[in-house]
Amino acid sequence: MTREEVYERLNKVFQEVFDDDSITVNDDTTSDDIEDWDSFEHINLVVAVEEEFSFKIPMGKVVTMKNVGEMVDIIMETGK
Amino acid sequence: MAVTSFFFFVFLLFGFGLFYLSPGRFQWVTLLFLSLVFYHFAAWDFSILFLLLSAVLAYISSNILRVKRIAESSRAKGCVTAVAVIAVVGNVLLWFLLKGSSFWVTGTGILHRFLPSIPQIPALPIAGALGMGYYTAQVIGYILDCYWGNTEPQRNFLKLFLFVVFFPQLTVGPISRYSDLRCLYEKHRFSYDNMCFGCQRILWGVFKKLVVSDRVGIIINGIWADTATYTGFYPWIAVLLYPLQIYTDFSGCMDIILGAAELFDIHLAENFRNPFFSRSVQEFWQRWHITLGGWARDYVYYPVLKSRPVLAIGRWSKKRFKKNKRIAKLIPWAVGNGVLWFVMGFWHGSVQHILGVSVWFWTILLISEIFSPLSVRLVKVLEVNTESFSWHLFQSIRTYLVYAMGVVFFSAPGLRTAIGRYGIIFDAAKHLNPWIFFDGSVTKLGVTFADINLLIIGVFLLFAVAVLREKYGYARIWMQKQNLPFRWFVWLALFVIVLIYGLYGPGYDAATFIYEGF
Repeated sequence: MTREEVYERLNKVFQEVFDDDSITVNDDTTSDDIEDWDSFEHINLVVAVEEEFSFKIPMGKVVTMKNVGEMVDIIMETGK
Repeated sequence: MAVTSFFFFVFLLFGFGLFYLSPGRFQWVTLLFLSLVFYHFAAWDFSILFLLLSAVLAYISSNILRVKRIAESSRAKGCVTAVAVIAVVGNVLLWFLLKGSSFWVTGTGILHRFLPSIPQIPALPIAGALGMGYYTAQVIGYILDCYWGNTEPQRNFLKLFLFVVFFPQLTVGPISRYSDLRCLYEKHRFSYDNMCFGCQRILWGVFKKLVVSDRVGIIINGIWADTATYTGFYPWIAVLLYPLQIYTDFSGCMDIILGAAELFDIHLAENFRNPFFSRSVQEFWQRWHITLGGWARDYVYYPVLKSRPVLAIGRWSKKRFKKNKRIAKLIPWAVGNGVLWFVMGFWHGSVQHILGVSVWFWTILLISEIFSPLSVRLVKVLEVNTESFSWHLFQSIRTYLVYAMGVVFFSAPGLRTAIGRYGIIFDAAKHLNPWIFFDGSVTKLGVTFADINLLIIGVFLLFAVAVLREKYGYARIWMQKQNLPFRWFVWLALFVIVLIYGLYGPGYDAATFIYEGF
């Protein structure tokens, strides 16, 4: 799975979770860039990513993830 | 040894000298020694055993986790989880043993009134351990970080013990992460900037506490001490001033602690970021007691939201309310936040704190979550300029009032008194007396006109520093750019004000810090 392919699917996940079709994310996107991305939506997002890529993000990573780039790194490591 | 006492500053000076005279490799040993000396003078003798027990539990469990994590078998993984759970529960139980008295005394007291056969359990004859809420939270965070693989367990027990007892933060936090305090074990060189910044910050903290907070406290205590005389608008003065008192008290203490740590080249996490500039209650809690909020988010809220039962509730809710996404999300939100706010209130340690923090703020947030689409629509219909100063001011005042109403529970010595105070507040209409604001009546509450003027100047200074902080990150960064005579004038003026107008010395017993009890 290439990084581009991950982003293609990840953008759809973000659009679905935040109910906004205009969202596109990149390596530097953080919770500050998306208005509704609070701690509750963070977990909704994590669960939606887990469902999309059929894997579990470890709790330690959930807590320390700082931007979308790190999320993509985790997906590329273990996601499908 | 209160951190505003003369003794503390002498101790700090002694510690500062000893620390930089120690060889770099042993500076952490000096810090440990200083922390134990501080603890000896600040708390009752045997309570150190509880800190020791907590540290032992963290040390053993984290090192079992280190060994077991390497093993890949499912049995080893099960063992890792069991060790982490035992260590966390053990620490919570230790905390509850020290802190829980108020729960079981109040709880069994209420039950005893309805069912006399149930005996009321008395409080334990121990005074609790200094900073128990803070170090317990730190230790739990450390164990979970080790469990999740976010940090490498500390192999040297004494180094881990220093993380638990590090003296500037022991009394009222901040709740530090182990990964942020690894600098405790490094070599530190004397730095003129650190010394200046540290002293300036301590001075600012002492000003907040001794000049502003303790003065406001006199007015508030005067009103609540005689509610038969002080009726009508008086209780409202107490209610509206209490956030100012608790803020200058807690953040003042924080400034002293962060400044003291800075003297040793240790930079602790910030606990406040101008909370009264917040535009909503949610934002308020991101700016107030930041380290507790961050701790509760990472170690309670996220794991709860990602737990199987809450995920199942989320799935059920999604299916049940297919057509209404908002309601579908609201149910798991309410459950997750319910647990989060319960822990936040429970951490404060009594039934009245559970009501004042957990119930109050959870309810307010739930209401604002339910009505947020309506308020968004209303703002659109009324064509409100949401970026205007006036709207921001309205939102900040609203947030202040919501907070002030909740912390009435904090200001009372007991649950019954707290509930009684709400009755008194809403009884104001029966005794309308708006003239008290103009005829000097407040000077009968133990403060003079000069005190009131000083408070006004103090609040103005606080506001100016807050504005500078919003703009420059730190007021002292702005200050550093000013010319030498101006800088010296400001710092000396502040020092003289504290010396002359600070409430300390014979005849004054500087009130203990409100957050010291947690």
